[in-house]
Amino acid sequence: MKRFFLALFLIFALWLAIDRSGAAIMWWLQQHSQDTTSSKIKHIVEDISADVVLMGTSRCNGHYVPSILSDSLDMSVYNAGIDGSDNIFAQYMVLSYILQYHTPKVVCMEVQNSFLDEEEAAFLTTGYFAPYFGVCAEADSVFRLAGTYTFYKLSHLFRYNTKVLAMITGQFKSHLDNEEHGYIPNPQPDTPPELTHWNTGPFHLSNEKQEYMEKFIQRCKERDIMLCFMISPAFSIVDSTYYAQLKAFSAQHQIPLLDYHTPGYYLNQPDYFKDSYHLCDKGAQHYTSMFAHSLKQLIALQGRLTPEAISYRSLDSSDWAERGI
Amino acid sequence: MLFNSLAFLLFFPTVCILFYCIPASRIKYRNLLLLLASYYFYMNWKPVYALLLLTSTVLTYLASIGIERSKEQWRRKLCLTAGIVLNLSILVLFKYFNFLALNLHNILELAGLSIPMPSFDALLPVGISFYTFQALGYSIDVYRGKTVAEHNFLTYALFVSFFPQLVAGPIERSCNLLPQFKSKHLFDDVRVMQGLRWMLWGYFLKLVLADRCGLYVDTIFNHVDKHNGGSFLLASFLFSFQIYGDFAGYSLIAIGAAKVLGFQLMENFRHPYFSCSVGEFWHRWHISLSTWFKDYVYIPLGGNRVGRMRHYFNLLVTFVLSGIWHGANWTFLCWGTLHGLALCLEKAFGFHGKHQSPARLLYWVVTFVFLCITWMAFRADSLSDVITIATSMVTDMGIPYVQDVGYGVIASALMAIIIVIVKESSEEFDWAIRRMLGRIPLVQYVYMASLIAFISLFGIFGNNQFIYFQF
Repeated sequence: MKRFFLALFLIFALWLAIDRSGAAIMWWLQQHSQDTTSSKIKHIVEDISADVVLMGTSRCNGHYVPSILSDSLDMSVYNAGIDGSDNIFAQYMVLSYILQYHTPKVVCMEVQNSFLDEEEAAFLTTGYFAPYFGVCAEADSVFRLAGTYTFYKLSHLFRYNTKVLAMITGQFKSHLDNEEHGYIPNPQPDTPPELTHWNTGPFHLSNEKQEYMEKFIQRCKERDIMLCFMISPAFSIVDSTYYAQLKAFSAQHQIPLLDYHTPGYYLNQPDYFKDSYHLCDKGAQHYTSMFAHSLKQLIALQGRLTPEAISYRSLDSSDWAERGI
Repeated sequence: MLFNSLAFLLFFPTVCILFYCIPASRIKYRNLLLLLASYYFYMNWKPVYALLLLTSTVLTYLASIGIERSKEQWRRKLCLTAGIVLNLSILVLFKYFNFLALNLHNILELAGLSIPMPSFDALLPVGISFYTFQALGYSIDVYRGKTVAEHNFLTYALFVSFFPQLVAGPIERSCNLLPQFKSKHLFDDVRVMQGLRWMLWGYFLKLVLADRCGLYVDTIFNHVDKHNGGSFLLASFLFSFQIYGDFAGYSLIAIGAAKVLGFQLMENFRHPYFSCSVGEFWHRWHISLSTWFKDYVYIPLGGNRVGRMRHYFNLLVTFVLSGIWHGANWTFLCWGTLHGLALCLEKAFGFHGKHQSPARLLYWVVTFVFLCITWMAFRADSLSDVITIATSMVTDMGIPYVQDVGYGVIASALMAIIIVIVKESSEEFDWAIRRMLGRIPLVQYVYMASLIAFISLFGIFGNNQFIYFQF
């Protein structure tokens, strides 16, 4: 029995040595990687100084061109969208890391039903932030919720789980050649996508997701950050109730929601899309111009928006006139 | 409870500590602990289905006692038949009822009769095929006089429900496992360490090899209408390793866990992809099932001690049944039939894989390609998908589509495959370096510590189900 416990102790000590030294190497690789995600996460955690920060999934990443917004708003803009992070928890982490060292004036978050839907995967991509475990208590609260907190605390190497190969290839090849303040343009496909119909009935609201949405809003309010939600165009047809729960939530919390999907923007322009979910660069350029116009007006009107005006199908000036704003 | 869940990582050490806290001479108490732990393990999934496990146990227990106590042959046969029929009825009801009803409905419709068929909507109880076959094997062994009927219900119930091998095998034989529940198991640090080492390698096979290959395989096979032949070829290749990693991984964790507790389960996989013929493959793949079918189906049918055509017929029947054992779908039947036919051809033409190189290399290539192609039928959701895939592989052979999962996933999967091939080559060909290093305890400890680190870096941790759970 004594020999067995000695062997167990030896294995534990060896594992600890491999784990900690391996994690130190991984940290170095992560800090020097030029792959899309690692370098963006590093920038989010340490280095954002923009007035306007855009957040969301790949639909944010490839839909909002900071230079266009910057020209229009006369403010600095950074696109902090992260591929695959279609949940509020990942967005809350982005906000928490930024608020540690910087307070933007405006935060614009590209939202989707999965931010509230109980059925949708909850913690996708939150693991991207694992290398920064322990840096921000608010962000770490998500790890607790996801059940990974203890494992990250125990194994430093586990914080780099599934990231290694991207980090290694990121040492030799930069994936950021055409990156512009976080925006990574989507290429135009050889064949245009097919128009699809998205149909989902009302979904069960997740209590945890609602709680984090509210925490997200609250943290913005505490820092006097103007917050705005948006839904960018997709090459799909949805009925008017598709985003009803998201809109009701926004209205309840008096957050403007700019919906460019339900009205069917660009449905006659398949060449604007990479696939049914994503705009290609050409579409993103056009869409950002339109969005910049609305955002500029929204910033100007922020102080006198009525609750009924803050959540409707789109915010362009003609609609505003119709609604007597 | 899944082996790759946090719950099991807490459950297993707890059971081990309690097990070894009970003195080795108190076998009855140790068995009681293992029985309670096994039912807790099973009930973690869906508590009510533990009743099915109990029913199967009671039925085969009573049938075997009946067989033993009956003097007349017809009574013994009656007891055996009753046990088999009742047990298989449960299996058929839960696993095959809807499949049979649907196909009967289709046949009747072809004959112009549209009769609505009832359906049985219930979740397939995890591991039902495994424990049913284990219990049936026991009853048949008692009937044949190869083993004596177990009178202690607690011991017998533990034999059927022993948690390491309960839900996905190995399908144990009564003559191997039952006596072990009656002997003392003293703590042996070398044996325990070996069990832990096997468990760790099992976790590597599951979390690093299988689940990583699965990311690509699922992307392709779940959308067969959207991919080209190149993608299917790569997915079939990766699926060969996914299913191996998944099932051999589970078996190794099971065998390792049992070994930690002092029990010796039968070997279930012996480097199957080194096979140079389909026949050899079945001596190395899912050994506990293939020997079950050999002992309880193939040999009773006459085995190879019959005429040539009858021998082929026996082979084909055995493999068709083996295919359908995997699931109620024509794809499994197709997979089993293909393997049966291949084995018949091998017998007919004298291919046995025991050739010298370079012919052996050629046989290995042919066998591996055959296995990959037939795995494709095994993985597909329906026969129409099999046809779509096969057509694409012939008419639309393009560059595999990897954008959705990313090159990193493919690269990690290939890296895991290389590691597995190197490790298994060292065992298969008995490399001197492996023998030399294997004797140094420190090397073993470094190996185990590195394996844990490697799994934490490359493993997929999402509580993914083991594929064989559905069987």
